Parts: sequence; C-alpha cells; structure tokens
Amino acid sequence: MIRARTFTDARQQAHSNAELNWWVFMRISGLILVFLILGHVYMTFIQVSESDATFDAVVGKLASPAWKFYDWLILALALMHGANGARYSIEDYVRSRPTRAWVKGLFYTVVALLFAFGTIGLFSI
Amino acid sequence: MYRGREGQWAFLLHRLSGLAILFYLLLHVFSIGSFIFGERFYMAIHNTYDLWPFRIGLVFVSAGVVYHAFNGLRIIVMDFTGAGVAYQRQMWYAVLLISVASFFYALLTLWPRMVGGY
Repeated sequence: MIRARTFTDARQQAHSNAELNWWVFMRISGLILVFLILGHVYMTFIQVSESDATFDAVVGKLASPAWKFYDWLILALALMHGANGARYSIEDYVRSRPTRAWVKGLFYTVVALLFAFGTIGLFSI
Repeated sequence: MYRGREGQWAFLLHRLSGLAILFYLLLHVFSIGSFIFGERFYMAIHNTYDLWPFRIGLVFVSAGVVYHAFNGLRIIVMDFTGAGVAYQRQMWYAVLLISVASFFYALLTLWPRMVGGY
C-alpha cells in the first residue's frame, strides 16, 4: 500500500509499476463509482421501495441493454475497487506469509466467482 | 493503538465503510443474480430481505456508501492539490455532516414504507 499525499510521492514510494497503477486505478474508478453508485442507490432504494424489487421487476429492468451496461460497469469497477481495497487491509493486518497467501487466494476466488456469476446473469436475459 | 487526530479517524472510517460495502456488494450480487435459479429461489431471498432488520440495515449501507464516496473525493483532492492538504480537516467535517444528513434522509424516506408494509 502506498501512503502518499501527492502523485509525485506515490511514484517515489511505489515498489512496482503494478502498485502505482493500482493507486491510479483506485482514484479513477472511485471517481466514476461515486456517480454510478449514488445514482443506483437513489434510483433503486430512495425513489422506489425495497419491496418493489420483485423477480418480474428485476428481470424486466435488466432486459434493457442500457441497464445491463450500467449494472455491469458497477459490477466490474466496484469488485476491482473493493478487491484491491481489501488487499490493502489483508496486507496490513495478516502478518504471517503463508496465512496471507491463503487468505488472499480464497478471497480472490470468491470475488472472481461472483464476477462470473453476475456477468452470466446479466447477459443471460 | 495510535491515537491520531481527525485524519486517523477519517482513514479508519474509510477502511471500515469500504470493507462493509464490499461485504454487502458480495451478498447483493448473489441475491439479485439469483434470478437465474428461477422465480421461487429469487423470491425466497427477496422476502427475507424485506424483513425490517435488513431494511434498517440498508439505511446504514447507504450512509456508509455516502461517507466512502465523499471521503474518497476528499482523498483525491488531497492527492492532487496543495489546498486539499491544508483544508483536509474542514473537508472531513463536511463529509461527516453529509453522511449523517444522508442517514436521516434515507431513514425518514424508508420509515413510512416500513410502517405501512409496502
């Protein structure tokens, strides 16, 4: 994890190009997700009741290509942003190397499976 | 534990809200995506999530999302501008204010629906 206050600091502290790319990715995806997620929460939780998210309503909405794209963008960006954020936490708190490798491996597997599950669901209707 | 000032609490809350949102997201992808197993399966999960403890939980998730979103913007401003570092404390109080306001806004919007059962 990079503890930097500016992009210049981040570049100096990064151990690898990958680590610097993740630092940049967190900021760009975060900026996009602010709009996507706050819009999603407003449209599906504030404007309408939670009870309205029935089978017919969800399948009907996700049949539209625009919502497929919107929701798939959230799925992909939020899972990558969340997985990398959790990686920072795992690297901070799980100190034993073998345990850390297992925790990471298990966690990445769960995220990858859910990403596949969500993608198949979205594009199967 | 290191007892820092506002910045330390901003960091801790950002991490906790992020992990909480991630946990919710994983559940949410499964519960909504479960429509591929058919209507009975989906509606069984949906009817469980309609119980009031889960609906109240969504108010906390919303407030957590708002905190993480606005504190994330504060971090970006800090990373790319000098003024952002100088005013990070003031910005954090603004973030807290927006989060608490969102919590009550979501709660007050949800309340009549929950009491009315729709």
